[in-house]
Amino acid sequence: MTSHSRVSRSQARLGRSIALHLFLTPLALVWLFPLWMMVVFSTMPDNGIFSPDIELLPHGNFLDNVSNLQRGTNFIGAIGISVSVAVTYTFLSVMLTSMAGWALARYNFFGKGMVVAIIFGTITLPYAVVLIPQFIMVARDFKLANTWVALIVPPLFNSLGVLFMRQSFSMMPHELFDAAKVEGVKEWRIFLFVALPLARPMLAALAIILFLASWNNYLWPLLINSKPGAMTAPVALGTLIGLTKVSWGGIMAGAVMLTAPMLVVFVLLQRHFVAGIAAGAIK
Amino acid sequence: MRYQNATAYRFLAPYLLIFSIFWLWPIIDSFLISFQATRTVPWRFAPTFNWGRLIGDPAFFNALKNTLLILVIQVPVMISLAIVMAVLLNSPLLKARGLFRFAFFAPVVVGEVAYSAVFRLMFNLDYGIINKLLNGIGLPSVDWFTNVTPAMAVIMMAVTWRWAGYNAIILLAGLQSIPEDVYEAATLDRVSKVKQFFYITLPLLKPIIVFCAVLSIIGTMQLFTEPFLITERGGPGGGTETLGLLLYRQGFRSLNFGYASAVAYTMAGLAIAISLVQIWLTREPK
Amino acid sequence: MAAVTLKNVIKRFGVFEIVHGANIDIDDGEFVVFVGPSGCGKSTLLRMIAGLEDISDGEIAIGGKVVNDVEAADRGIAMVFQSYALYPHMTVEQNLSFGLRMTGNPKADTERRVKRASEILRIAELMKRRPRQLSGGQRQRVAIGRAIVREPQVFLFDEPLSNLDAELRVQMRVEISRLHKELGVTMVYVTHDQTEAMTLADRIVVLNAGNIEQIGAPLDLYDDPANRFVAGFVGSPKMNFLAAKMVGADNGAAVVELVNHRGARLRKPLSDALPATGGDVVLGVRPEHFFDAGQGDCDLTLKADVAEHLGSVSYVYANSGTGGGREELIIEREASRHRANGDDLVVSIKADRSLLFDATGARIR
Repeated sequence: MTSHSRVSRSQARLGRSIALHLFLTPLALVWLFPLWMMVVFSTMPDNGIFSPDIELLPHGNFLDNVSNLQRGTNFIGAIGISVSVAVTYTFLSVMLTSMAGWALARYNFFGKGMVVAIIFGTITLPYAVVLIPQFIMVARDFKLANTWVALIVPPLFNSLGVLFMRQSFSMMPHELFDAAKVEGVKEWRIFLFVALPLARPMLAALAIILFLASWNNYLWPLLINSKPGAMTAPVALGTLIGLTKVSWGGIMAGAVMLTAPMLVVFVLLQRHFVAGIAAGAIK
Repeated sequence: MRYQNATAYRFLAPYLLIFSIFWLWPIIDSFLISFQATRTVPWRFAPTFNWGRLIGDPAFFNALKNTLLILVIQVPVMISLAIVMAVLLNSPLLKARGLFRFAFFAPVVVGEVAYSAVFRLMFNLDYGIINKLLNGIGLPSVDWFTNVTPAMAVIMMAVTWRWAGYNAIILLAGLQSIPEDVYEAATLDRVSKVKQFFYITLPLLKPIIVFCAVLSIIGTMQLFTEPFLITERGGPGGGTETLGLLLYRQGFRSLNFGYASAVAYTMAGLAIAISLVQIWLTREPK
Repeated sequence: MAAVTLKNVIKRFGVFEIVHGANIDIDDGEFVVFVGPSGCGKSTLLRMIAGLEDISDGEIAIGGKVVNDVEAADRGIAMVFQSYALYPHMTVEQNLSFGLRMTGNPKADTERRVKRASEILRIAELMKRRPRQLSGGQRQRVAIGRAIVREPQVFLFDEPLSNLDAELRVQMRVEISRLHKELGVTMVYVTHDQTEAMTLADRIVVLNAGNIEQIGAPLDLYDDPANRFVAGFVGSPKMNFLAAKMVGADNGAAVVELVNHRGARLRKPLSDALPATGGDVVLGVRPEHFFDAGQGDCDLTLKADVAEHLGSVSYVYANSGTGGGREELIIEREASRHRANGDDLVVSIKADRSLLFDATGARIR
């Protein structure tokens, strides 16, 4: 290769690199803008938000906004409910779906084909289809409206985890489980002490996705737990949006309190996050 | 292996129980309810009561029209954007990759209520930052929420902002599963980068693009929170009312479960049709 | 310690029968190797003995007790897997003791057994490490250790050395032999590698496509194979098979013409009934059973293609040229630097150093 062509090649690379960044940087700024504005709004007094000036930098009013919010609705209490529900839901869902995924990955049993067909055949049906019967059942038949059970148990039907864990377990070498079986280890102990520890990264990814889904869940909690003391944080916040006399600084402070912990988790555990989201599609 | 019914079902039972009660049975029940007149107690079987009303209900066709309109415009825009994000994020020339990933992927963790509130505030007529910025560069304010077209635009922008990065994550994983040597071979064959994208990347990514599109269509079809909170219950005047919102109003404001179930099954029918299209699009060539 | 008996054992997967009625008697303390090409059913047979696969038909007995319906864990066996199947999240010590801990074995006894296994296999200094910190050979030792800890009546090995490099494989082969002598326990060993089978086994079971082709001591299989498959499978490099035709009888001996070698004829004395004159037969000659020109009963003129010099011996890949059809032969010669491409080569074969097979592959003795 001549020196001339080497120079033009590296110039071409540089040109492409500049074009790439010139395009992507503004797009990234646009994408960050709503989040940034959420933070800015949450630190501004209400008369600042509704002033004709352009304000793009944070102020110091966050705590005042939080106490404004707390006057409108017991948001701190609602956060407590949201945290407890999300933790419980995540734990239960991970256990249930990994047990089911294990059964589908490891055993042959009567009706396996049908179970697989039904679980995965209905996975793309819209959630809206079951909303009304679920509501009637939980609220009218079981009389469980405004309870923890109503928030936690019905959403456990989600089959994403079954799909995900079945995939994870069937990619592990079967000889590992055979070895334990030959040694006389009971199946539930093989599951607990061999399979689950090996699935730790997958369990982490699944748990993050499920926790996020529960934390941000809006429609079901809105319908089933609408009594003030029983609301989750997103529902409590949602009730304020659209009211005429309301502190928008407070609402934004609430939005930040809902979002910031998830952003921290996202930054810390990005790898698991991405794995969890991508796993649904890439098989 | 021998059949291990007892062991297998012991592991499956807890999940299958929940799954049957809160998913399988409701799917059937919803269908049954859609054939009942539920305005008066006791409910009675009336096969044409809801479905007959549905096909003559302008509110239903308005919601269907709005939903399809959002689908047809928002999903292609978002998927194209997600492909661009994924391909550029995958470029070896990119610096500060972590920052860019954060910018595009962060909306994935933002809850619907939180971001609906922000968008509503940003697009406020008199004090919203968007109009202030428009004025700042000499453009007139847009009355975002009292006219149908800009209100629709806000909904679509909000949904695109929230979900483009999500799709980009899936597409990026797909891109990274394409072996590097395919591109190296193409480069040796003097195939340009642009042609590589159209003749290698896109065809190999097609199943994943279709998957993302189907996921987005089914998600957008059920759109509820954004028109509920951002454009205030589907305003202006039902201009952004979606099927999801209609279902909510009929089911939980008017407590008309039968009619709401018919709306729900219309959505299910659409979803099934979309899934069939997906299967057809990604079938293995014979 | 226990004998293992397989009586008419059949394995079906759906409509496919992949083991067609196996009968094998393994004596107490014997080392038996199942050998055959991949897909011959050898691993399935082993997994049936282990209790990891159902027995579709027939009977398997261990120590005189039929175990068809006995759980794997209660059969008194231990198994070493091809991939080692070490639990990656446990230390070596935990790997060794896992089964005993999980089944409620007394703690002191578990410790004693783990200690003993680590001494036998000389892995005491590895006890705190995890599998990914071990070399292939060390992992293999731990896998065997895990079997020893169970103090089984029968050891089962499923291609345990196939993931090791050539040098380690030889070393571990010796190790396993030593272990067998030390423990004196019945061992059943599956491999596709005939060298492993020859060096380890008291007796070899040769399997092909779900059938047992022959059972016998290594050298018996080498000297006196029952059929063309066994003759070709045992021995390395493979036996040469020369197309031949019965052209006549002479005093109870068959006279065969080697059809690809310009009508060369060999007189082969037989005790069986002679095949019909004019019929196709096959003459098998091992690479090491070619002699210098004039030293045997029949000379063949060949063209050398390639020579592989191993130092002690050379293998010459030769062909029969144009004397009929072209036939490729491998010939072992004393080390020689002079063989080259296209050289003429005259070798001789002996009647008593060749085997005759009929057209179906059955041996004619």
